[in-house]
Amino acid sequence: MDSVAILSHLRPGDRVVIDDIQADESVRRRLHAMGLLRGRQAQLIRRARFGGPLQVRVGSVDLILRRRDADSVHVTPLL
Amino acid sequence: MRRIALVGMPNTGKSTFFNRLTGAATRTGNWPGVTVDLRSAKILLGAEMVEVVDLPGIYDLQGYSEDEHVVRDFLTHNAVDLVCLVLNATQLDHQLGLALQFSQLEVDSLILLNMADEAKQLGLHIDTDTLTKALGREVRLLSARRGDGFRETKAAIEHHLASATAVQIGAAVGEFGIIDALSGEVQALYERSVQAPAIMTPRLTERIDRVLLHPWLGLPLFFLFMFLVFQAIYALGTPLQDGVAWALDGFRQIVLEPLEPHVPHLVYGLLVDGIYDGVGTVASFVPVIILFFFMMSLVEDSGYLSRAAFLMDALMARLGLDGRGFVMLLMGFGCNVPALMGTRVMRSRALRLLTMLVIPFSLCSARLQVFVFMTTALFTPRQAPLVLFSLYVVSFLAVLLSALLVKRRLVSHEPFVLELPPYRLPQLRQVFYRGWHEVRHFLHRASKFIIAGVVLVWLLTHYPVANPPGGPDSFAGMLGQFLQPVLSPIGISAQMAVVLVFGFVAKEIVLGSLVAMTGLQGAALSGYLAGHMSWVEGYSLMLFILLYTPCLSTVATMRTESHSLRYTAFSIVWALTIAWVFSFVFYQGASALL
Repeated sequence: MDSVAILSHLRPGDRVVIDDIQADESVRRRLHAMGLLRGRQAQLIRRARFGGPLQVRVGSVDLILRRRDADSVHVTPLL
Repeated sequence: MRRIALVGMPNTGKSTFFNRLTGAATRTGNWPGVTVDLRSAKILLGAEMVEVVDLPGIYDLQGYSEDEHVVRDFLTHNAVDLVCLVLNATQLDHQLGLALQFSQLEVDSLILLNMADEAKQLGLHIDTDTLTKALGREVRLLSARRGDGFRETKAAIEHHLASATAVQIGAAVGEFGIIDALSGEVQALYERSVQAPAIMTPRLTERIDRVLLHPWLGLPLFFLFMFLVFQAIYALGTPLQDGVAWALDGFRQIVLEPLEPHVPHLVYGLLVDGIYDGVGTVASFVPVIILFFFMMSLVEDSGYLSRAAFLMDALMARLGLDGRGFVMLLMGFGCNVPALMGTRVMRSRALRLLTMLVIPFSLCSARLQVFVFMTTALFTPRQAPLVLFSLYVVSFLAVLLSALLVKRRLVSHEPFVLELPPYRLPQLRQVFYRGWHEVRHFLHRASKFIIAGVVLVWLLTHYPVANPPGGPDSFAGMLGQFLQPVLSPIGISAQMAVVLVFGFVAKEIVLGSLVAMTGLQGAALSGYLAGHMSWVEGYSLMLFILLYTPCLSTVATMRTESHSLRYTAFSIVWALTIAWVFSFVFYQGASALL
């Protein structure tokens, strides 16, 4: 599957499928454990102002993560 | 004795369950193989005494976070009869991975799907029989908040314990399932066991968030809430603190002071001026700690703390801190002690240490008292409020500067990912437990250190000669003389250096020590100050008092919370350095210009 987008670049309301997390082992495992797993659907809910974190809904859970961490999450947008 | 370990993800209501199971009789203590304190309690279950240990929240038994290390270390160093794994029933799509990991361990586990009431409201139907069969572990529904299913859960625990054997998990814990690899299995199991309605009703939480996390309204509302919380704590806390002080002082005057002629001078001084006043210092913090944690539990349990982190993170991330640190910092403007204790919500040690380093620069209410007196003495009524305001600005500057300078050394390697839980009404029972527990923790850990410090300062200011206390012939006076080479470049006299010694114990006694040393009070003391120091010297002294160290209780709390004498020493040296540099730059600069 080709990833065509990065989680941190999405706009509020965008729905995606998570492809891959390209980060160190420890970061990847933490994001996995928080539910950001390959094949899961996610939706960007809102972005905080001034370059602050993102609110992302993955399944039943809402997460906030920093843009820097979200940069490593590759996704495929859903139409 | 039988032992139960309580495990679960953060925000699953694990602590609520712990409190319901154990009541208020908990202790915080050390365990083999583990570097942090864990909460535990001994309770009677069936006919046996059972020890229940509350382990930190984890996402992944194999994870790399500090809490995940703690849980692994605990389970490999301590034998456990039963693991109670608490999961959030509304988030099983995320949480079954952890259950699968535990189902592969030798140790018996009981899987509790907590927040069953919320799951029902969301229209989720959970088939516990399918889960029990698939996991090979008993799975039960529970609402720890409301108590639904609690009695049955307790009976199930007793039943498990009756046949359980204690297992110390082998070091091979690292061999078991990796969440990523388990994800297919989790998905399949979730689909088999949970029926979710096709369309989830838009939750109340979403509607509230539209306002509270609004791009423009979010921050002003946050500051409004913080202001109200702050007001509530200190509007209620100050009269209570005064009440405690009044009661202790009354006891001293009516009961203790009449004894003075009948007791040897040294013994009386040591017991009353030393230990009794030390106890008084400890006691004066109790109301504000209770109130602080009362309010903090409201903010945290309602789910708003994570929202605050969302709103403030952009700024705080640049300082190497996180959004929650900002809340603690603000609370530090009331009192640093509970603010330091409050940093416990941060699970990354580096992040927590950095936050603890900057909190003591917050201008707390005790320092404010000193500054109000000094600014009124040294400045005109029109200047005084501006001078006071400038001290608040300096307080923020010291926080910014410290964070920027130290953040490279205390880098948190954990990604910043927080769950945004749905809004919940805080349970009074929980809030009460929290306040009670924190006060006990403070009394247990910090009181000896504080009392010892108060006694030490009493000795320094009363020996070998106390005329007046802290006069030039006392040890403190000698210390003041000795420090002159360091303090004269920032415009602080030997006499004022002694005030700093007193101020190290508590800012509340700074004015009292001036009264004792000069024999003057109120307006006369103001006049004395105005006559004995220029405004430049006065401001330099205030800068130093603001930054050098908040008080002995803060130092004691720093030590108990950081678990490191070295870090505590570093934080003191750091604050002294910052204080000296600020005062030096100001004093020399102003002296050169004027």
